[in-house]
Amino acid sequence: MKILSIDTSCDETSAAVTDGTKILSNIIWSQASLHSKFGGVMPSLAQRMHEERIDFVVDKAMLNAKTQMINLDAIAVTIGPGLSIALGVGVNKAKELAKKYNKKLIAVNHLEGHVLSPLANDKLQMINAKFPALGLVLSGKNTQLIQVDKIGKYKILAETQDDALGEALDKAARMLGLGYPGGAIFEKMAKFGNPKKYKLPVPMVGQESRMMFSYSGLKTAMLRLVKSEEPLDKQKIYDLAACFQDVAFKHIERVLRFAIVNCKLKIGNLLVGGGVAANIEIRKRLRKLGKEFNIKVHFPYSRKLYGDNAGMIGIAASFKYQRGEFVDPEEIDRNPRARLNI
Amino acid sequence: MKIIKQNQKAVEIAVDALAQGKLVFMATETVYIAAVDATNPQAVKKLIAFKNRPFGKPFSVGVTDIEMAEKYVDLNDSARKLYDQFLPGPVTVVSNGKHTVAPGVEAENGTLGIRIPDYKFVTDVVRNFGKPITTTSANASYQRRPYKLDDILDNSSEKQKKLIDLMIDAGELPHNEPSTVIDTTLDNPTVLRQGEIKLKDKNEVLSRSEENTQNIGKELWQKYESFAGKRPLIFALEGEMGAGKTQFTKGLARAMGITETVTSPTFSLVEEYQAPHSAFQLQHFDAWRLTDSTEMEALGFLKMVEDKNMVISIEWAERVADIIKKYRDQAVVVWVKIEYPTTVSGQANENERLISWGNL
Repeated sequence: MKILSIDTSCDETSAAVTDGTKILSNIIWSQASLHSKFGGVMPSLAQRMHEERIDFVVDKAMLNAKTQMINLDAIAVTIGPGLSIALGVGVNKAKELAKKYNKKLIAVNHLEGHVLSPLANDKLQMINAKFPALGLVLSGKNTQLIQVDKIGKYKILAETQDDALGEALDKAARMLGLGYPGGAIFEKMAKFGNPKKYKLPVPMVGQESRMMFSYSGLKTAMLRLVKSEEPLDKQKIYDLAACFQDVAFKHIERVLRFAIVNCKLKIGNLLVGGGVAANIEIRKRLRKLGKEFNIKVHFPYSRKLYGDNAGMIGIAASFKYQRGEFVDPEEIDRNPRARLNI
Repeated sequence: MKIIKQNQKAVEIAVDALAQGKLVFMATETVYIAAVDATNPQAVKKLIAFKNRPFGKPFSVGVTDIEMAEKYVDLNDSARKLYDQFLPGPVTVVSNGKHTVAPGVEAENGTLGIRIPDYKFVTDVVRNFGKPITTTSANASYQRRPYKLDDILDNSSEKQKKLIDLMIDAGELPHNEPSTVIDTTLDNPTVLRQGEIKLKDKNEVLSRSEENTQNIGKELWQKYESFAGKRPLIFALEGEMGAGKTQFTKGLARAMGITETVTSPTFSLVEEYQAPHSAFQLQHFDAWRLTDSTEMEALGFLKMVEDKNMVISIEWAERVADIIKKYRDQAVVVWVKIEYPTTVSGQANENERLISWGNL
């Protein structure tokens, strides 16, 4: 079952062709990949408007998948959450293509894409036996712990009250003078630092039962700490990055641990997606936590599937196709604040 | 193609080759690099052909020191600090270019990445050459990292190999990561162009906690609620990172009856919330990632300030002060400044904030 998917939820313009959970092509046009060595370059909003590059990205996805419109079973698109004007470009394109080629249209929640991204290229039968599971989305925009009763049925267990994890890392990087967004640079710097050098508060420690993530307090504490350590030198930057990252991740671990211990369901699998999940340190910690509770931890198989991309939307869409969840092209609309409680 | 051993004599040979616009491969403390004269358009074209990548993708350049860097880029304070902290070393610092290198070296937006290699051979070459050289890694795009010459040769086509003029062999390098790229251009002080904010009246209060800051948001809503529905209300929030701009908006939203969790709009740029028991709508902006105020228009700001039922909260408002000022008659603009207080000793409680506000 071949599906063309489109995601324009934020900065990236992406299109992909999938066959079931198999990724045939996954094209992502971002300022970051265009200038991959210059990952920190901030695209201007005009460049984020996606309009001028959507056709190119769709054509390239079709070409790389060696597929023609006639061979497609459906077209899928992210309707939210995301930046309204950006989402609109993808939704309009999907609508236009669905009408022009008379294809079924599937509306996908961006977060469902992230949760299901570890299922790419996996065998469906194997996966279906593995629910209920937990899903963890760690990105620049979202930090959510999700109960996955089965594919298509989700309940948000915890989410951020202020900044997302990726955003907190980006902002901390900026405090250290490492540019913005600097999450990826931050990871490199943290590798050389001593996470025990400074003391930063783990957010909401002892309040895990409230089931929420929060980074505003840690951000403020970090700003104070950085100011008190100025002028910074190389080693201080390494140590400060290591400390902040350590505490930011501990917060995720603690909430996750609480959820696992207190979950009445038998959880055997944890699905992790989102840009920050590419961080080697967090992967190590999540795997360790999984081992402790005999939970298998799954990450996407390819780096491209971590950040925003249409490939993961195609995976989510393939299950919706099987369930017959289609939308009328006349009625589809973006939903910038879409939630994953389904 | 000529392959020679890396030694002091090779410096001269490399300099001659670069001067003739040739493509030279040499080692650094990270990976082998493909070096050409970064000011020679023909040489850069040759490099682009070898790297097999689209025009417009920038190349970092290597210099010997900060003085040399300043001939090619404008350094702001953030950049200077990074040079001081990390260079020479495996870090590339991106600044606004002075457009004195060949086309295709700077990024499309005019920025240029500079690196000072921590590797004597390369700095000797650049010093003797007197001009910057490209320091892009010696592999074609998407090929493996080049730690030895064979990594390059084994992954290059015959056509690519023909483009290589000189290879300087330093054996197999330790497998270090490529350099880290840090962009400093977002730290440019756009704020200065916005002029000073003059308030008609000024109120001041000390917040002692995040909850306190939320309550001040609530109180300001109560103070200005009577305008809502008659004119759009703008809360322009100014304050450093971590000051509590989102906390303020949380309080504002709660006072409006919004029960959804208000989160930071840094990534999404703007978030919309509908107040459940009224016609009022809250638009929560974050101007931090905007390059200028025309981007506010692209996000629908002009339509919002036409709507009497609109309540607009703008974080980093000082970055887009010009467009906010333009609407100060049409809308009620409350400028809110959140600062970290400093006491005589220079030490304050880390949760304390001085919050001042007034009409624009």
